[in-house]
Amino acid sequence: MRFVIIGTSAAGLAGAETARRFAPQATITLISDESHLPYSRPLLTYLLGGETTREKLFLRSPEYFRDWGFEALLGTPVTRVDPQAHEVHLADGRAIPYDRLLIASGANPRMPRIPGLELEGVFTLRHLADAERLERHLAKARRVTVVGAGAVGLKAADALSHRGLKVDLLARGAQPLSKVLDPVSARLLMEALQRLGITLHLHSWPTAVVGAGGRVTALALNDGRELPTEAVIFSVGVAPRVEFLAGTELSGPDGIPVNELMGTADPDIFAAGDCVLPRHLITGEPAAFHIWPAAVAQGEVAGANLAGAGRRYDGILPMNSLSLTGCRIITGGHLQPNTPEGEVFEELDAKTGRFKRLVFDQGRLVGATLVGEVRHAGIYFQLIAQKIPVKELPCDPRSPEFHPGRLWARPLPGAA
Amino acid sequence: MKTVIVRPERCVGCLQCRLACAVEHSQTKELVAALGEAWRPVARIAVYPGGVHLSFPNKCRHCDPAPCQAVCIAGAISRNPARGTTDIDPARCINCGMCAMACPFGVLTYAPTPKAPERRAVALKCDHCPDRQAQGLPPACVEACKVGALSWGEPAQEMAAKGRSLAQAYFAASRGVAESPEPEMIRLWRQLG
Repeated sequence: MRFVIIGTSAAGLAGAETARRFAPQATITLISDESHLPYSRPLLTYLLGGETTREKLFLRSPEYFRDWGFEALLGTPVTRVDPQAHEVHLADGRAIPYDRLLIASGANPRMPRIPGLELEGVFTLRHLADAERLERHLAKARRVTVVGAGAVGLKAADALSHRGLKVDLLARGAQPLSKVLDPVSARLLMEALQRLGITLHLHSWPTAVVGAGGRVTALALNDGRELPTEAVIFSVGVAPRVEFLAGTELSGPDGIPVNELMGTADPDIFAAGDCVLPRHLITGEPAAFHIWPAAVAQGEVAGANLAGAGRRYDGILPMNSLSLTGCRIITGGHLQPNTPEGEVFEELDAKTGRFKRLVFDQGRLVGATLVGEVRHAGIYFQLIAQKIPVKELPCDPRSPEFHPGRLWARPLPGAA
Repeated sequence: MKTVIVRPERCVGCLQCRLACAVEHSQTKELVAALGEAWRPVARIAVYPGGVHLSFPNKCRHCDPAPCQAVCIAGAISRNPARGTTDIDPARCINCGMCAMACPFGVLTYAPTPKAPERRAVALKCDHCPDRQAQGLPPACVEACKVGALSWGEPAQEMAAKGRSLAQAYFAASRGVAESPEPEMIRLWRQLG
């Protein structure tokens, strides 16, 4: 068997390693347009803040490909996939034949459609090359603007403020992380940003990047203001990298639709990671949510299925962890109940800034937000993922006494 | 592979395991000296109140495959095949909280440690006391536990032993024989006459 995997990040590597375990004899080829060894994208903001080093970005050793028996084609972009001929075409003109293909091509940063994006000093932070280019520019900049208050934008702003730069952060809505945070958690987060000295601009969005002499000097905002800045980092979301599938009907604009085996419309092509549109674990609806843990889980399922193992992916449970200086937040599942019978339980300790918010729907836990003390986050997410009715639990998660001891010291009702 | 076997039904909540764990993970490994260390030693085992007169000692199970390892964006969590443990490298940990999000047992804590002095905090959890193991000693929590709630053994052997004793008790009861033989110390006491 000849397996080809497009992408060498979380999903691609998990796929390759799982495929190798299931098919020790198979030929496995990994293709990436980046020439670096596999590295961790989420660490780029930590690199920016000096919390990690460049060498620690790389998650695998230089001998990795040899040790696992993978053929690596690095620095070679894919131009086209030909499902009929079972071939992947590369930018250098080569055609790589496959028996089964795994597409783990990830996503690229989105950019707003505004003028001035070609100016020197406009950045995104997705690839190692972006971080290196930004690093060179920051050597001579003192004032930086981050556009987009999502997880990456917030972490980048935190990192930049650590370096002693003056940081402005633009949020389109009334609060940062508007899709996943309730107002109380958002207020705790905004207080943390203030303590960090980051200037947060709410309801603010750039209408143009303003420059002089080819360099960024300011951002024109939707409220008419002009915000002076020496560099702009756009972190406004990502779009799946599926250009090379044009004309194959394997992908829509939001990503590659997949079944529960991580299979696509073509029986010999699987897909995993940020480029796919998996089903939501709770609702069952297709949902794009780009997180490292989901990419790894999908990669493992897809890799096993390359080798015909028939493993199933349960679905994606959106969750994320945000750790800024002095503020730690873990969120997951639904922000609000879907039905009128649902309820939300909140517990705020104003003195310590600890906050717990649980969302219940139809007798089950469907969402959790933890600020400050996050140790038991995984327990709540297990309750969500396993869809256990609250009344069958030995202790109600709403109770202040809820902790692992209450959950496990007595057997579950009905258990033999 | 030996591991810490937990019998929550025996735990009385004395917290000696926590104390021993914190001391073992201090720099001096001496209780009194540890109190004065720059980085306050942190226990990696928790003891929660459970049911009535019951406590629950909760620690890392060293899962395989480990959910925390799968989600670690820093590549700081790895498996040690020789010791059967899931280990955290404090030099690589970036304190992002992903492992807390993934751990179904809620056993991760975050605190500064002398092994990563330049950081505010790193992820901490049970490591089965590698220094003690190298000397042929069981983990500190096991040594501290006086009620048999924590023991150090091979899970398969322990399960087989427990299965045997349950089977013997069952057959003894079904034959109408008196319950299990009296404990050794009672037998000796009676022998004294």
